[in-house]
Amino acid sequence: MKDLISVSPLKILEKSSRKELGAGNLGVLIARAGVGKTACLIHIAFDKLFRQEKLVHISLEEGPEKVTSYYNVMCSDFVRALNLTDDYDEYRMLVERNRMILAYLNQSFEIERLQANLKNLAESLDFRPDVLIVDGLDFEKAERTIFEGLKQVAEELETEIWLSALSHRHITDVNERGIPYPCQQLDDLFSLILQLQPETSGIFLRLLKDHDNPTIPDISVRLDPSTFLALDKPDLPKTRT
Amino acid sequence: MVDDIQKLRNIGISAHIDSGKTTLTERILYYTKRIFAIHEVKGKDGVGATMDSMELERERGITIASAATHCEWKGHRINIIDTPGHVDFTIEVERALRVMDGAILILCAVGGVQSQSITVDRQMNRYKVPRIAFINKCDRSGADPYRVVDQLRQKLNLNAVLMQIPIGLESQFSGVVDLVSMNAAYFEGPNGEEIRRGEIPGEILEEAKIKREELLDAASMFSDELMEAIFDESVSEELIYKAVREGALSRKLTPVFLGSAYKNIGIQLVLNGINSYLPAPTEVENIALDQDHEEKEVLLETNPEMPVVALAFKLEVTPYGQLTYLRVYQGSIGKGDDLFITRTNKKIKVGRLVRMHADEMEDISRAYAGDIVALFGVECYSGDTFTNGHLSYSMSSMFVPEPVISLAIIPEDNKAQENMSKALNRFIREDPTFKSYVDQESGETIISGMGELHLEVYVERMKRDFDAEVVTGIPQVAYREAITQEAHFDYIHKKQTGGAGQYGRVAGFLKPSEKGGYEFINRVKGGVIPTEFLPAVDKGFQSCLKKGLMIGFPILGMKVTVNDGKSHSVDSSEMAFYQAAIGAFKQVYLKAKPVILEPVMKVSIEGPSEFQGNVMASINQRRGLITSSTEDGVFTTIEAEVPLAEMFGYATTLRSLTQGKAEFTMEFVKYTKVPESIAEELKLRTREKSKGEKRS
Repeated sequence: MKDLISVSPLKILEKSSRKELGAGNLGVLIARAGVGKTACLIHIAFDKLFRQEKLVHISLEEGPEKVTSYYNVMCSDFVRALNLTDDYDEYRMLVERNRMILAYLNQSFEIERLQANLKNLAESLDFRPDVLIVDGLDFEKAERTIFEGLKQVAEELETEIWLSALSHRHITDVNERGIPYPCQQLDDLFSLILQLQPETSGIFLRLLKDHDNPTIPDISVRLDPSTFLALDKPDLPKTRT
Repeated sequence: MVDDIQKLRNIGISAHIDSGKTTLTERILYYTKRIFAIHEVKGKDGVGATMDSMELERERGITIASAATHCEWKGHRINIIDTPGHVDFTIEVERALRVMDGAILILCAVGGVQSQSITVDRQMNRYKVPRIAFINKCDRSGADPYRVVDQLRQKLNLNAVLMQIPIGLESQFSGVVDLVSMNAAYFEGPNGEEIRRGEIPGEILEEAKIKREELLDAASMFSDELMEAIFDESVSEELIYKAVREGALSRKLTPVFLGSAYKNIGIQLVLNGINSYLPAPTEVENIALDQDHEEKEVLLETNPEMPVVALAFKLEVTPYGQLTYLRVYQGSIGKGDDLFITRTNKKIKVGRLVRMHADEMEDISRAYAGDIVALFGVECYSGDTFTNGHLSYSMSSMFVPEPVISLAIIPEDNKAQENMSKALNRFIREDPTFKSYVDQESGETIISGMGELHLEVYVERMKRDFDAEVVTGIPQVAYREAITQEAHFDYIHKKQTGGAGQYGRVAGFLKPSEKGGYEFINRVKGGVIPTEFLPAVDKGFQSCLKKGLMIGFPILGMKVTVNDGKSHSVDSSEMAFYQAAIGAFKQVYLKAKPVILEPVMKVSIEGPSEFQGNVMASINQRRGLITSSTEDGVFTTIEAEVPLAEMFGYATTLRSLTQGKAEFTMEFVKYTKVPESIAEELKLRTREKSKGEKRS
């Protein structure tokens, strides 16, 4: 399993203050459309699922069929990239056994509804997630109360929640702490903020917020644009205050 | 011709069981002068409603098979398909909706939006069928059409808008206020055939004004012209019709009508609604799949001059032969024309072409694009596409769910045996969800279908229509066996007890097949098994696949490699090597560590979100693996994988868990190994069964 972690995008957290997001906390991955937010989130999911942690994938845009097929393709690419094809069935089973997809279509997403659904999972199936992945939440339209609600869910269930946030090339707003749109007014609610940026030499994942650590090491991980797995020699150690 | 097509309506009538579909159809036929007397469902006259033509339907008071009919109303020809209400017959509803351009969704003013209304509405969405709603039974105690309209909005997410309001309710229900013309309509005469228009009663005038405002608000979203007219206070009836029609055809507005079919109130206005708010065939997009171009989608034109494309959507067996209901999508079909069935490329000649009216028919010489007619004496299956032979089009496939339940049926005597075969042959052609085969082991005939009632009706029809008395067994699951590891065999079949002897030796190994099927690999060198006997070895192994040695179910995924053997110049024969293969299989099978596999179904359960927890728990109790839950509006869809063996009786469980508000569908997804405890139980049962057989 150690080998797998070394290629996960979450490798970026190895040099962060707590090495993880941690239960009760929210983390967000910011990127422009088409850069690979969902792919990166699924790798974060794999990192948890392959440790046999329970995960709920919350999709606000796509139905479960599409989400499942995304996981299947990424899982297959993942085992192929690591020459683990013989173990594909085992990895796939880990995903299927430990993942639950909750889809909210046509503006059906509400915190109360999510809480009710998670309660049902726990009571009816004894499925208590360690991690929640929330993909497709529209940060521009969502009220702050939604994020506060998610924070409350994370605390109550002692789970960590990863979200994806869509940024736009033409919106360059950044707050005084260096946090860009669309999280510039929400960064107090997030413990970890990561940004995914395409550059000429590949896709880089950068750490923008590291819990309460005022000094953020300028850590980035270079990702393979086709598999989203971390490449060798990724770190560019610098210090930023 | 174009004018005729514009005035043609192909509509389905569907709703929850006992909402009054057949009663409504009976009135429609009466007012359009297709019939001259009204017979009630379960009526005292014992005649039964016209559309319930099957004896069983008349007796039970439910519609089982769809019957087609047509009528004319104010210059429009209306083809109607009456559809069954029970969930086990949804294939009938689906088929009807597949060929319909519009539909009437009937709701009970007391029961409101019930589980089957939700199912039917979902089916209508699947086939993009525009609809109008008719709230029936406004004369019944507890009738509340306003509550039903709210339910249409909340439960079905329909933009439902009242076209009328009731004058009185329950026993006082006497007519409706037409919100377009803003007058009252009363239905007089012995059977409500005379419509008397009058002033809106003073006590409901304010209510009528408020509801008309709501109607105008909703309709104006589809017409700028109407919006302007509302500002100018110059709204005409024509403008409202146009706007509502626009909304209804785009499925963004559902006009709601009120009445009581049984009390003959409001039906003629529903007929007006069909003409005004449901589409002509030219206003509906129909797609065919071009088989010559990798099933590329082709848009059909409702044009009688184009090459013909028609779909057989229903077969019925009549005393005079098979009757094939056909929807003509493009071109025309005339008596004496040659048609080709795309599936088989078989040519057929159009003999009798008829227009159906329940179980009566009238001969016609030609049917044009958009029409629904029937052909006589054509050998085809339900779902077949007909063309002129130059096009290789197939209509997009109908959604046909896989059968989920099997039952053994045993004829009581020889006569029943013969009649049963005839019956099964007919049912299979009529209903794609009904299947039948003979189990090689037990020799029993197995029938499979969509639910217990589905099979029960066919068993009943065998008895009534075909005089075939049968005894039914208990529901059965199709288990399979599969080997899990390589095992070697070396077997000699030798029989030399007088007369011609038998000799054959085969050696090699079995291995699980990655491809999932059966594979035979010949690695024999030096002719130790003569080439002419190798097919017999192959056949011998194949014969063993039909019955595994653990619980006697077929074997999946086995690769046989034969690499050695021996023959005898006199005693070797095909039969000897065939037997040698069977002996080798018996010798090695258990060493290859076989396991029992069970069918796992992908189950999709849809219902109001409040039942999510109950449904999840019920799946968990059935060894199910829930993979997702989707929230959409007020509904939740839960997807799970559940062993079929655990799904018997689930319909009843689900009904009681969700007050009948949820429904489920399931289809086969894969075979997986059964848990050890269940495997042991199955083996034990097999041993006991074979002991019993030996004793007897």
